[in-house]
Amino acid sequence: MSLHPTVITLPVAIPLLLGAVGMFLQFVQLPHRLQVQQTLVGVGVVVNLAVALLLLIFVLDRGPVAYQMGLWMPPFGITVYLDALSAIMLVMVGLLSALIFPFALATIDSERAQLGFFPMMLFLLMGANGAFLTGDLFNLYVFYEVMLMASFVLLTIGGTPSQLNGGIRYVVLNLVGSMMLLLAAGVSYGTLGTLNMAHIAVRMNDAPYLVQAIIAGLLLIAFGAKAAVFPVFFWLPSSYHTPHPVVTALFSGVLTKVGMYSMFRVFPLFFPWLLNSWQPLLMAIAGLTMVVGVLGAFAQPTIRRLLSFHIISQIGYMVMGLAVAMTPNPYGIGFGLALAILFLVHNQIVKTALLLGGGAIELEMGTGKLNELGGLVHLKPLQATVFFIAAFSLAGFPPTSGFIGKLGLLEVTFSSGQWVIAGVSVFVSLLTTMSMIRLWQYIFWGKMHRKPLAMRQQTAPNYSWMTVAPVIVLVVLSLALGLAAQSALNVVQTAANQAIDRAAYVKTVGPMLTEQDLRIAPPEWGLTNALPATELAGR
Amino acid sequence: MTAVMLALLVGVLFACGAYLVLQRGQIKLILGLGLFTHAVNLALFGAGVLTRGAPPIVPEEVEGVPQGADALFANYADPLPQALILTAIVISFGVTAFIVALVYRRDALTGSDLAPGELATVVNTADPFAEFTLRMKLPDAADDYDILQYELDEVYDHPEAEREVARE
Repeated sequence: MSLHPTVITLPVAIPLLLGAVGMFLQFVQLPHRLQVQQTLVGVGVVVNLAVALLLLIFVLDRGPVAYQMGLWMPPFGITVYLDALSAIMLVMVGLLSALIFPFALATIDSERAQLGFFPMMLFLLMGANGAFLTGDLFNLYVFYEVMLMASFVLLTIGGTPSQLNGGIRYVVLNLVGSMMLLLAAGVSYGTLGTLNMAHIAVRMNDAPYLVQAIIAGLLLIAFGAKAAVFPVFFWLPSSYHTPHPVVTALFSGVLTKVGMYSMFRVFPLFFPWLLNSWQPLLMAIAGLTMVVGVLGAFAQPTIRRLLSFHIISQIGYMVMGLAVAMTPNPYGIGFGLALAILFLVHNQIVKTALLLGGGAIELEMGTGKLNELGGLVHLKPLQATVFFIAAFSLAGFPPTSGFIGKLGLLEVTFSSGQWVIAGVSVFVSLLTTMSMIRLWQYIFWGKMHRKPLAMRQQTAPNYSWMTVAPVIVLVVLSLALGLAAQSALNVVQTAANQAIDRAAYVKTVGPMLTEQDLRIAPPEWGLTNALPATELAGR
Repeated sequence: MTAVMLALLVGVLFACGAYLVLQRGQIKLILGLGLFTHAVNLALFGAGVLTRGAPPIVPEEVEGVPQGADALFANYADPLPQALILTAIVISFGVTAFIVALVYRRDALTGSDLAPGELATVVNTADPFAEFTLRMKLPDAADDYDILQYELDEVYDHPEAEREVARE
């Protein structure tokens, strides 16, 4: 199989073109404008998913591939880079948007649809795909902003007072986070003289420690703010419960995970040695993120407020996996990163399933307050079952994907000698289980306090299978990921190996470097052109 | 010297922006964000080599001759930071305009430039009547509990229907 390298820009081009046409339709008088628009968006998400799957198969077969926009030589043009890590993220985000689309079709009210909800979904998808594919730091900032602008609109569309409140907090804190990313790009250009990520990786080898620390710190704050890690997570619980439930599900599957992806991409590429020397800091961030998130979830009175705090808590596990990514352990360098990627994929599936399932209940009952729900297990046995499986997958019970992810992360942290964080993560898993039991029990067990809207009102809509089917698909995926864990592990291991292989990244992007520039890693890491371990320890 | 002045200016702008963003009140928030974006844009500007009175064209005699960066930047201005700043200005302008629209809309809906939840947290201001004044600004807020409830009320699609149910 051979692909022309321009194909890897399709995940940006398809949503951009269809989204632009969809937005244009807003201003045209057509008899069936909304239907045409929705068809366009449906075609867009399906084609995007198909292209992403194709790219994943290609990359797993052939290894990473790069394309220079306009055929400018690197580092002068914008590089587009695709490896297994970006391809996995493309597939996951494409899959989630394709599954959320029917849910949105069924539940989005006509006012929000008239205001252009559906094209905005495509713009969000385009921004996320661009952030996965770009090989240029400034371009990454631009795609972040594209994604954020679409998310601002999705968050505030409808304009209820609580949405505006949440929206202002969200916009302000994300703007400050983006400023940090922009500043990191500026510092990189001012000190290293380049914005191309491969070129930065090469020049970072000889950069003074101060420059490394400033760039790493700014990037940590910027991506941490997007991923909602401990000190900079406040925007998430104050805004995610306000929009339509579809939007919350879409955000939890896409936005915070783009921040995590950027960390996975940038840290092993630019400064893998900092992952070791800054390990205590990363561990502290991971532990506090987990604990604060899960404790915050206990105090929450509504379904989506509770699940928002669990998003934060689960991010901590991924940071933990990243922190041990470069630590030598019996499974090999990069195994921690592989498991962090697996956990990311698992979390995208399960969290979206929970938020869609909870959102459907919230829409059908007219409220998300836990103390007003209850006893729905008799009325909706299917929804109760899938919600139960998803909840316990989040908590980490076998045979679901959560079990594999958490077991692997525990194994790799233990064997790397990080006992404290491993203990914290076990404790947090216990608290997550308790929180999930509380959530399921409040919604589905006990006495029924109120009936669904459809049973009380003639006018209230009765949502069809389109709200249940995506959740079922996601839960089946979670089970499949747990049962076929070995195949999944092979894929994420390939992705992690490609992500930590700096020499391959630089070679794929361009020939702007000499061979001795490719001093990458100590010999025991098994990478090419290795730097002696003593020299690495000195960094 | 220019670079030092620029660095100081960026620092002062960041400090003022941070101070304003941390204040209560939406206009200060917007102004603070404006200062933030200016600070970052100036930092980007300083990231390039600051050459005055030279065109952004590589001089002929320098081309191909390995004379080092100092010789190059004596008669050459780096155009890339300007291009980056232009992009950043457009983006931050758009976001700021969006925030202004959000604040205006919230003002129109609630009749106050304070978020409802903020009322509960107003303590220790110099003005002894501050809380009273704030309460007067909010139209239909009897007490803090009501305001919290109002924030917790997340009713979708059929708010009228919900109210009818509540009346029953």
